[in-house]
Amino acid sequence: MEIIITIFLIALGTYVLIGLLFGLYFLFKGAAKIDPLMQDTKKRVRFLLFPGVAATWPFLIRKLFKPKTT
Amino acid sequence: MGLDYQLVLWNKHKKTYDKIIAFSMLLYIILFAVITLVFNAETSIETLVIRAFGSLAIIMLHIILVIGPLARLNSNFLPILYNRRHLGVSMFIAALIHGGFSIFQFHALGDVNPIYSVFTSNMDYASLTNFPFQVLGFLALLILFVMASTSHDFFLGNLSAKVWKRLHMLVYVAYALIIAHVFLGAFQQETSVFTIGILVIGFVIVVSLHLITAFKEGKIDAAKAEEKEGWLKVCDISEIEEDRAKIFTVENERVAIFKYDGKLSAIHNVCKHQGGPLGEGKIIDGCITCPWHGYQYLPGNGQSPPPFTEKVATYALKLQGEMIYINPDAFNEGTEVEPCNY
Repeated sequence: MEIIITIFLIALGTYVLIGLLFGLYFLFKGAAKIDPLMQDTKKRVRFLLFPGVAATWPFLIRKLFKPKTT
Repeated sequence: MGLDYQLVLWNKHKKTYDKIIAFSMLLYIILFAVITLVFNAETSIETLVIRAFGSLAIIMLHIILVIGPLARLNSNFLPILYNRRHLGVSMFIAALIHGGFSIFQFHALGDVNPIYSVFTSNMDYASLTNFPFQVLGFLALLILFVMASTSHDFFLGNLSAKVWKRLHMLVYVAYALIIAHVFLGAFQQETSVFTIGILVIGFVIVVSLHLITAFKEGKIDAAKAEEKEGWLKVCDISEIEEDRAKIFTVENERVAIFKYDGKLSAIHNVCKHQGGPLGEGKIIDGCITCPWHGYQYLPGNGQSPPPFTEKVATYALKLQGEMIYINPDAFNEGTEVEPCNY
């Protein structure tokens, strides 16, 4: 059981760490690349969104690599 | 519905509701503390905080879970539904204080990582009476965190409505984890009778309201319309109130038929914002207005008025006498359809 717990917590920690790094990228550079509406949005909104971005990075990271349709 | 994102979508009404939420939370914490100290003056401040915020979070979670069914059963509850997002975030803050204090008091004072300690300080996972119930609370807190942190229109737009909805349906998983967390905690006498009482009553109310709503909506979906030359007979004009709609299921999709200004129009019932039931809204300023967050669509073409870009599918209607018929083949989202005059 302890092995399962250790693996789970390492996976969770890794997920959170990547999320935090992605969140920092979002804060300072990536926000407008993910969503053009962020271009005209106040900077403090990015800070509010930071925890959610860190939590859902696997979904958002896909948007960076999706070819633009326009 | 906007061209940029706001920090918080506040208006006069939402500010009033938020003040009510904050005041109610504060009042509950004070009352809980006073009553606890009157009956058990030796309660430590940490225990008091843990219990007060834990029970507060549970009460708020129950309110959140019953708002949806209540609003569907009675439109007087819709104003509370508008503010559910802020209530959810407030509930997470209460749960976070409960969880944070618990982890600090029980797991942070040793030489083991506190999170690791939550999972390993009691390894009796096979036991019912000594199960490490705090693990369940921790997992529920993780779910509530994801939900609270994605309670913004940015995430609805960028995760897609489908993914966002699925993430937020995890509230039921969190609820199940919390029920188990409290009941298994009770075996170890770390949970008050008061909290268990709230949970039992709350569970019965939540389940009952969901069943009643499901039964009511099941009747809409089960209703079979009579077909005539490719058109489905839906209802008499008099069955629809002015500036309101009636919802029908056509080809497994819910459609709202609106009656306004001597005209009838049909659109897909699901709002593009958060999947709100457009047919439970009404016509305001000539636009179909979603009852959940006020997103608007023009009845003739299912498009949000410019500069907004949301669109829903439209349907053709025809009248024979007073009877309304609908063509079950939906037009593409935003297609202009001549309203049916009566």
